[in-house]
Amino acid sequence: MSKILNKKDINKAAFRYMFMACNIFNYENQQGPAVVYGLEKSLRKIYPKDEDYKASLNNHFKYFNTTTWMANLLLGASLAMEEKDGVKSLDTVQNFKTGMMGPLAGIGDTLIWVLYPTIMGSISAYMGLQGNPTGAIIWLCLNIFFLFFRFKLFSIGYNSGLKLVTALGDKLSVFTEAASIMGLTVVGALIPSVVKMKVGLVFQTGKVKLPIQKEILDQIMPALLPALLTFIVYRLIASKKLSVIKIIFLIIILALVLSYFGILTV
Amino acid sequence: MAIIQGALVILLSFWMVLDQQGLVITTWFPIMIALFLGVIMGDMQTAMVIGGTFQLMALGVANIGGSSVPNWGLAALVGIYVAIKTTHNIEDAKAVALAVGVPVGMLGIQLDVIAKLLNTYVTHAAQKAANLGNFKKMNRIFWIGPLIFGLSTALPTALCVIFGEQIVKTILTFLPKWFTNGLSIAGSMLPVVGIALLLQVMPAKKYLSMLLIGFVLAGYLNIPILGISIIGFAIAYYFFNTKMNAPTTATVSGNTTEDEGDDFDE
Repeated sequence: MSKILNKKDINKAAFRYMFMACNIFNYENQQGPAVVYGLEKSLRKIYPKDEDYKASLNNHFKYFNTTTWMANLLLGASLAMEEKDGVKSLDTVQNFKTGMMGPLAGIGDTLIWVLYPTIMGSISAYMGLQGNPTGAIIWLCLNIFFLFFRFKLFSIGYNSGLKLVTALGDKLSVFTEAASIMGLTVVGALIPSVVKMKVGLVFQTGKVKLPIQKEILDQIMPALLPALLTFIVYRLIASKKLSVIKIIFLIIILALVLSYFGILTV
Repeated sequence: MAIIQGALVILLSFWMVLDQQGLVITTWFPIMIALFLGVIMGDMQTAMVIGGTFQLMALGVANIGGSSVPNWGLAALVGIYVAIKTTHNIEDAKAVALAVGVPVGMLGIQLDVIAKLLNTYVTHAAQKAANLGNFKKMNRIFWIGPLIFGLSTALPTALCVIFGEQIVKTILTFLPKWFTNGLSIAGSMLPVVGIALLLQVMPAKKYLSMLLIGFVLAGYLNIPILGISIIGFAIAYYFFNTKMNAPTTATVSGNTTEDEGDDFDE
């Protein structure tokens, strides 16, 4: 059996795709052109004839969109199919890509664009508020580690093809749920530690001074106001009556008004 | 020195969008941008506090499936730059960063949409070149895509770098204290938006108990966030193992691909 592509070609295709990923993103075929850019060098080796090459390029120009990290698996497997069967495989490749990009995006987007930045973002932002860059540095190191991991994903896709990609899906959904559990614990911790509201008013009857924040609110529950605010904003967003941008400006206006009357202090 | 700093900041703004949409090493997450800006500007403390604030606002904001979101990384970038240039204490810096950063971050939505629209033409031109057999030209045309995205963040940054300092300094001289205080308070309240947004996309109702555990650990027991994430990880790990070994998942038993999945247990 003659292998046309070597390890170097695969890594090159992986790098080219990973660099371009969403950088030619458009509303028509979304990541399509980036896929073409990523695979074109390898495809040229597979198809020496211009006509075949064009047919394959046009096939990859079609609509493609999934979590870019997960796409590596699909594109690796696509290359393996085209290397084996040439132009005859184009329909299979297209069906495989469109069939898998939905499920992979469902899991991948949650895992990579929601949970990972939630956990790392919470930790590093919390440290950041104290002027400490350690969290951000850890995040940077993890990203570099994952870059190598994504190279590996591409060659896993290339070497094991369709079977594994489907089998992995089931496992990943349990993993996503577990990551949500960890994520929510961290988010719960964020509410009292990063949302800060301090009431500056002081009750005064005769000689007795009663600072509202320290003597009343903190006695009921620590971070009572941040918890309430979280609940209110959560309901507001869920009701979809106000856009998030409007809510942001509302909070800024509220803070300015409360600051003017001295109700909240820095 | 100031010119080199300005140039580096503009360069970073060009790179951050390309990296976020491609390699994902430095990313555009505010706290990561703050890390680099802290180095460039030589004031890690201020950069981290501002970056942390924007990072928390950005939680739960994911540009999934080609949607356009406020560019909080860009907000942090110009916010930190202008704040360090114009203010001398952390509360003022927070206020200035918020006032400058939020509008610029919002502008990021429109700029992103424009970039994606323009890229439709880039794709068409590239595909046309491919069909004419001009593959080298196709390859060159692809590079216009990242150029457009890079400029979509570099242009507003350049404007802020060139004009921001002077304008903000002028405005600061006649701004009343309650106003800058109010912005600073808003900065401490706004993380709530990111948290609330995150709760919409995560299974918050299903795992409400985790949210409460996190809240109590941080609010009442004052455990640092890293410790809380370890507790969260412990529970998630237990959940993952129980679920994976449950008899209902008999389909995967005895499967050799079982080992591969462990790569994900970071």
